[in-house]
Amino acid sequence: MHLLNRYKWPALIGIAPALIIYLLFAIVPIILSFYYSVMDWDGFTEMKFVGLANFKEALHDPVFWGALKNNLLVVAASVFGQVPLALFFALLINRKLKFGKVFRTLGFMPVVISTVIISLVWGMMYNSRRGLFNQLLEGIGLGDWAQNWLGDPKWAMFSVCVTIIWQFIGLYLIIFLAALQNIPEEIYEAAKIDGASGLKRTLYITLPMMRNTIMVAVILCISGSLRTFDLIYVMTTGGPGHTTEVLAMYMFDQTFSSTRYGYGSTLSLFIFFFSLALVYLSTLILRKRGD
Amino acid sequence: MAHVMVGKQKNIELQKESGKGRRFSKKALIYLLLVVYGLVNAYPMIWMFLNSFKSNIDFAKNPFGFPVQWMFDNYKTAWETAKLGTYFFNSVIVSVAAVAVTIFAGAIASYFLARFAFKWGKMVYAFFVFGMLIPIHATLVPMFLLMKSLGLLNTHIGLVLPYIAFNLPITIFILVSFMKSFPRDIEESAIMDGCGVFRIFFSIILPMTRPALATVIILNFINNWNEFSFALVLINDDSLKTLPLGLANFAGQFTTNYGAQMAGLTMAVIPVIIIYLLLEDHLVKGMTAGAVKG
Amino acid sequence: MSKRLRARALLVVSALMLVLMSACSSNGEKASGNGSGDKVELTFWNIWTDPSPQNKASLKAVKKFEKEHPNIVIKQQNIPHDQFKVKVKTQAAGQQLPDLVQVWPGAELTPLVNGKLIQPLNGILSHWDGLIKKNQLSDYNVDGKQYALPANVTPTSLVYYNKKMLAKAGYKNFPKTYEDFKTLVKKLKKQDVIPITLGNKAQWVLQSSYMSMIGDRMTGSNFLPDVLEGKKKFTDPQFVKAVGVIKELADMKAFNDDFNSIDNIQHRDLFVMGDAAMMIDGAWSLGPVLEAMEDDSSMGIALFPSIDGGKGNPEAVSAVTGTGIALNSKLKGEKLKAAQEFLKSFYSKEYYTDLMKADILVPADIDPPKGVSQALKQVSKLTGDHIAPVYDATLPVDVTDAINSGLQEVTLGQMTPEQLAKKLQAAVDKEK
Repeated sequence: MHLLNRYKWPALIGIAPALIIYLLFAIVPIILSFYYSVMDWDGFTEMKFVGLANFKEALHDPVFWGALKNNLLVVAASVFGQVPLALFFALLINRKLKFGKVFRTLGFMPVVISTVIISLVWGMMYNSRRGLFNQLLEGIGLGDWAQNWLGDPKWAMFSVCVTIIWQFIGLYLIIFLAALQNIPEEIYEAAKIDGASGLKRTLYITLPMMRNTIMVAVILCISGSLRTFDLIYVMTTGGPGHTTEVLAMYMFDQTFSSTRYGYGSTLSLFIFFFSLALVYLSTLILRKRGD
Repeated sequence: MAHVMVGKQKNIELQKESGKGRRFSKKALIYLLLVVYGLVNAYPMIWMFLNSFKSNIDFAKNPFGFPVQWMFDNYKTAWETAKLGTYFFNSVIVSVAAVAVTIFAGAIASYFLARFAFKWGKMVYAFFVFGMLIPIHATLVPMFLLMKSLGLLNTHIGLVLPYIAFNLPITIFILVSFMKSFPRDIEESAIMDGCGVFRIFFSIILPMTRPALATVIILNFINNWNEFSFALVLINDDSLKTLPLGLANFAGQFTTNYGAQMAGLTMAVIPVIIIYLLLEDHLVKGMTAGAVKG
Repeated sequence: MSKRLRARALLVVSALMLVLMSACSSNGEKASGNGSGDKVELTFWNIWTDPSPQNKASLKAVKKFEKEHPNIVIKQQNIPHDQFKVKVKTQAAGQQLPDLVQVWPGAELTPLVNGKLIQPLNGILSHWDGLIKKNQLSDYNVDGKQYALPANVTPTSLVYYNKKMLAKAGYKNFPKTYEDFKTLVKKLKKQDVIPITLGNKAQWVLQSSYMSMIGDRMTGSNFLPDVLEGKKKFTDPQFVKAVGVIKELADMKAFNDDFNSIDNIQHRDLFVMGDAAMMIDGAWSLGPVLEAMEDDSSMGIALFPSIDGGKGNPEAVSAVTGTGIALNSKLKGEKLKAAQEFLKSFYSKEYYTDLMKADILVPADIDPPKGVSQALKQVSKLTGDHIAPVYDATLPVDVTDAINSGLQEVTLGQMTPEQLAKKLQAAVDKEK
């Protein structure tokens, strides 16, 4: 890296196209949106400057705090559910199995399929009267465990989280599989000669070499979970009550149902800062563990 | 779950036999796990396909079984209701254009951000990553106003540009992290030989990045192919609309034609699967196929 | 390797340029022109996407107009209901509304009026004298100005019941009082059928089809306007009792137990398939039920029974008018004339007749055409006397949202009716 400072111009040329498009068509609208956060605006009449009133309101808004709590649950479910499971299956598939390719393809299917279908299928499986899960539980004599999965406030968030975990394992699966390709075969050969068992090889060679990729996955999880919208919107529309309300959904409703563009922008600003804080926190934790 | 239990039992029995048996049983367990995992993942797709042949009543009565009567007409209805003839083509144009630019611009930018140490390099990288933290719906109204003032409302390019801009962050994020993992000295000898930086990019870095590239291409394509909100707000002309807008047509205010909806969604998912299958092999080639090894 | 890759990159770039260029050229600026030549072009947005009988009738009326006016082109955009509202609001923020736009009464209409985005129709209103009933115009009337005309009247709360299942429980006629209604529910429960099917996932059903009706039975029809004017409060005991009725029904398990996780299409299926004996739903379900039910003679329709101590008219039914089309305030001269001409042609006797044939109740004074279903005649008779306001068409959006989620919480026992009443009053107070 030492000698590369003389490549300033090529670097500038290389980065410029991406940066220009990004600045113009992502950053400009984002900044505009942040600007609305100090305004009272319904989109129909004149904008009015209200200072920090929207922020104050958010801090006193129970729905906002509830949504934040649910969002953190989604983050936790994703980070501790999706990442380990994806890693587990990636390691299994990476063992040069027959049909490995088939399993990888199947694993990716939930990412491909429409959210509408996912929420329909899962909604029906969760259904309390004739859903698959309750029937299964009854079938194996655990009828007492049957629940009104999506209709009961105690279980709704849990059920939604399970579906979310399922939906995105495939994405991290292929990211991990791609990263696993990057670990040179020779290292394993050497370890094998040294007599390290499969489990040991995984723990002491593979995982440390995957640390960066795991970090990438965790950060993707966090950013994705805090913006999560579609699936919950179709599956529960935030109900029952507000028990499965998440921030992005609340922001959407405030913006387009109540037409409070100012308050909606404030909420999106909060989403941004929460994600930033969580991302920062996670890099701190993962780095410490590594060094 | 029941399958796993049975598998475990089998496992124990087999383990008693011999070392060879143990290895075999371990493999069997792995396969069993994977088969269950595969089924769980494939099920919704199969479910969608089966239900795409059902009438509304049939769907309400038995959502999990086979169609009582196979309604092939659903596909015709779907094709018309979702205006697939026009919208499909538009979606292909928009998605392909956006993916191509995002990947190309994103890969070059990632290369410089990952492999060169600049004072402002880290800042630019962080700046890009910020883009992953913004909920897209917050930018709908500003985006509309921006496109209006640029005169790009109701054009494909006015849709492609935001798609690129909002997919660049994740593209760059994944590519940079992947490119950083290469050993430091791979370009050095090439530079000593007098290779230009762009040539190094094309002939060394890009081939090595292939698994990550395949990943982000697939990801980008899915994002653009399914994108709804920007398309809804930015496009008015029927001849320019994209597929997701058409697929929303099945839900009326008080009714939904489920059979046709699933027929439409089944047709809509085909291109994504094709893209995936085309790129699938690249997901795992990486080093072995790259120009440099060891 | 490198050469091949570079060649490929070149290919990608050139393909891309091609695509972008074609994308640019394929959309020449087709500004909603003031007509090249003699043609006047009007843009018109509506929600007529799915091929329902009502949408078909509406689209037919547009076609008829275009045929009769070859110099006027109606450029339609059909957008599904939920997305329509997002799109209209975004366009409104950019002052880019189409020339003609479908509008809903109440909370959806007033912002458009306040933002001066649409113009009144008072100048041409006399055209409909004698066709549209005067008392049906009020939903689209803001401060004495008429902004749109109604195409249909939609009762939001009818009790659909299965005559055979009620007979089995010993009821030849639908119960007249709420007490008797509860007995019926209990009897039905004993027979192991779902007494009332409900799908409140989207949260508006309990508000639109239950609260609007039960609330009116208890409080009378002036309650909502009074609350908005500050003359009454949601904490009024009559309103609290009305919420209590909904809670009572939930507590006695009158509904299917997944009522908070299925939607209003699924709940209709339960009724159609004979799993449930009753369904409280709007008139929008009439057509779909008649179409799907195997034996539609076994379907009866009634109004929610009278409740002891209620101050409302027990014959009243909550209803809202719909499918109004408003004119962009920017329309002038020739385009304005064309747009007015369009409305005159669209809201015609012929259109209303077509709607009635599609099992839609209309606000027009016309004789029912031949072939109108028995059920529609009955609904028409039931709703003839007294119309009560619908909550979400009367209240501001934030209050409606509070009721929607609040009712769900009440049915789950997470909130008491009193608490909900307080919360609603707080939401009303905040609006001021």
